[in-house]
Amino acid sequence: MQFAEFATRASEMEAEPADLATVALVRDLFCDAGDDLPVVVRFVHGRVFPAWDSTTLDVGPRLLRGAIARAAGQNVTAADVEDRLAEEGEIGAVAAGYDFGGQRGLAAFAGGDDDGLTVAEVDETLRELAAAAGSGSEDRKLNTLFGLFNRTTPEEARYLARLVLGEMRIGVGEGTVRDAIAEAFLAVEETGETTDSEADDEPNDETRDETDGETRDESEERAAADDDEDPLTRATDEQLRAVERALQVSNDHGMVAAVARDDGESGLADVRLEVGRPVQAMLAQAGTAADALDEWGEAAVERKFDGARVQVHVEPDDEGETAGVSLYSRNMDDVTAALPDVVEFVESRVDAPVILDGEVVAVDDDGAPRPFQEILRRFRRKHDVDRMRDAVRVELHAFDCLHADGEDLLDAPVTERHARLSDVLDDAGAVSDLLVSDDGDEIAAFEEAALEAGHEGIMLKNPASAYSPGNRGKNWLKRKPDVETVDLVVTGAEWGEGRRANHLGTFLLSVRDGGDYVEIGKVATGITDEELADLSTLLEPEIVSENGQTVELNPSVVFEVGYEEIQASPTYSSGYALRFPRFVAVREDKEVADADSLARIERLAESESR
Amino acid sequence: MFKAIVSASTLRDALDSVSVLVEECKIRLNEDDLSIRAVDPANVGMVDLTLDAASFESYEADGGVIGVNLSKLEDFVGMANADQLVELELDEETRKLNIRIDGLSSTLALIDPDSIRQEPDIPDLDLPAEIVLEGAQLDRGIKAADMVSDHVRLRVDDAEEAFHIQAQGDTDDVDFQLDAEDLIDLTSGTADSLFSLDYLKDMNKAIPKDAEVTVELGEEFPVKLHYRIAEGQGNVTYMLAPRIQSD
Repeated sequence: MQFAEFATRASEMEAEPADLATVALVRDLFCDAGDDLPVVVRFVHGRVFPAWDSTTLDVGPRLLRGAIARAAGQNVTAADVEDRLAEEGEIGAVAAGYDFGGQRGLAAFAGGDDDGLTVAEVDETLRELAAAAGSGSEDRKLNTLFGLFNRTTPEEARYLARLVLGEMRIGVGEGTVRDAIAEAFLAVEETGETTDSEADDEPNDETRDETDGETRDESEERAAADDDEDPLTRATDEQLRAVERALQVSNDHGMVAAVARDDGESGLADVRLEVGRPVQAMLAQAGTAADALDEWGEAAVERKFDGARVQVHVEPDDEGETAGVSLYSRNMDDVTAALPDVVEFVESRVDAPVILDGEVVAVDDDGAPRPFQEILRRFRRKHDVDRMRDAVRVELHAFDCLHADGEDLLDAPVTERHARLSDVLDDAGAVSDLLVSDDGDEIAAFEEAALEAGHEGIMLKNPASAYSPGNRGKNWLKRKPDVETVDLVVTGAEWGEGRRANHLGTFLLSVRDGGDYVEIGKVATGITDEELADLSTLLEPEIVSENGQTVELNPSVVFEVGYEEIQASPTYSSGYALRFPRFVAVREDKEVADADSLARIERLAESESR
Repeated sequence: MFKAIVSASTLRDALDSVSVLVEECKIRLNEDDLSIRAVDPANVGMVDLTLDAASFESYEADGGVIGVNLSKLEDFVGMANADQLVELELDEETRKLNIRIDGLSSTLALIDPDSIRQEPDIPDLDLPAEIVLEGAQLDRGIKAADMVSDHVRLRVDDAEEAFHIQAQGDTDDVDFQLDAEDLIDLTSGTADSLFSLDYLKDMNKAIPKDAEVTVELGEEFPVKLHYRIAEGQGNVTYMLAPRIQSD
């Protein structure tokens, strides 16, 4: 497929406001993709690599602006591109605004024709880009991107720029991709009343069939007239679930689409977990023991470790001995290199092949848990791994087993998975204690003991439930002491992007320090579109200065902000940062002088670390 | 089979001329010469290098192709002083290149040549103007252009028989004029093309200041720059595609 064709389709999706019609457009694109299907499926939701693969292009906005500037022509600088970005609010529009192609290629003089970029070529080039490393790799990346942009039309440039940053902004999310795969390759044409020659026409949906007194001819005419944008959804729930399951298990949308097309539902059913290919972690909602017992009768209860979620993959060698250990974060990033002690522990205690879910927790010399921020000093670390290994001791606490000895256990109940975990992990201390109880008092005692031991709270799990990757469902509940809020002064903000380009989106928060203000974090979540518009109206008159997308504000407005923890952090001038900050409300009843002080933040942080 | 001994400075000049454009390349180990042809990822700049067997102290090869990471190879060769000899030998079994410099021996893992970007077809260009000048003169013109712009215009004025290296910035201009008597040689013809300094600066870096550089130029056509290395026993040709000149 030509990249120009892909870009045209993408722009149609972007222009289409209705979700069902978007699914139909994506479906049509998938049907037309041919051999390029896996790549097209990934591109359409802004990916070059499958979701499980933590390889990135490693191209930041600055590098991208440089490449665009170079392709844009004589004496256009990266700073010029940045200026346009501040105006347009979005890199795709900026790229589309330039006339690329002024730089000619040598092929044009060697008798070769430039037939335009293909989807496969863009994919191959971006993968080459991702592989570039070492000295001079920045330059080569810039040069490679320049070479791509140099061959694009404005429409292609728009979607290439967005693809490079991984954000297509065409209203196609994971759900759309899932639905479109099912619609394209599993949904069965309703051929009952149509003849063979019309088999390509969209069949009518049910509401139309219900139209009384309408003759067949009229109805067909309408169907034909609507053909282009007919947003029919014909895939059954079962088919959607088959796609969903295969996606959860593999996190490879391109592969799943190809399997759906080539081998249908039975092929999808054969998609299995693979050791070395991470799956999304199952997530929990907030809830109470009472909620759990009301819903399930009894609950499986575990301590909630205040650590970093980690998925442990253990591969066997040819003899079936434990060989390779890989560790992945909650977001499926490979964190193996940062945690050699965990790798060694797993190597000595776990029989391959196996996939475990757990938490890595920082502990003190007595084995008592240390605060979350300590584990962050280890996680994702690339340098000084050995030094930090001595400074911050960590332990693995496994609580789930997704795969053991060739058998996928996702559909097995919590209790069975926990039993398998105890079988494969030869260290009782590293396996979470599981209490299955229908007694509220017993659970309360367990919770009290967990909090006393320095844990964050407890997890409540439906004992009969399966493991649903990536799902924040009702089968896992986390019970924690109530969330705190603080009152903070808004001292800066950033203009949003895309649809939100005219609104302030991210707000810089500060605390009082004597007569001054020191920064403690940013908040962007918990704000509705409506509130966002109101906040912009409220704050725009307070703008002191602007620099690109960043604005400085007169300290005048106080936000109430919820958080889960205050942690020491070098990022902000206060020396502290909020973990999971969330906008609660504007404290119109408070003056900035009434906002919380640095002294109070220090006290809160201290009380937490006890 | 490949076994050769060559002076470090010759090898370095040769490798530098390629590494300014690409990170990895194929090296053809022909019977009579060693050659490299590579094009940058954007397919805008190209290099074509040959080192005759005569530029080596000794040279034996039977037509194989190897793939190398140039910066690694340059690092290894960089361990030698300019006047030292570098001994290269291909280990067919391990597919590694053994490099020996006096007592120092190192082994460079090779890259599968198939994984390296395809070698470009060389455009067959008949360019009307030919300018022969010193590397230092070209260097001066490029440095001047770089002060005001990111592109440079190379132009031959047929009437006044002069070569111009010109650049136009947003506010400032430069024009470096070289008349026939300033040049080593000039074959005058109508020629005027615009080139990206990003590329030309890199190429210029590899061109020795005392080299005699032949510039072949046309109207909105690629420029060819060639010069000899290894005391005349080696040749480097660069080709660079133009940028379309607006108005």
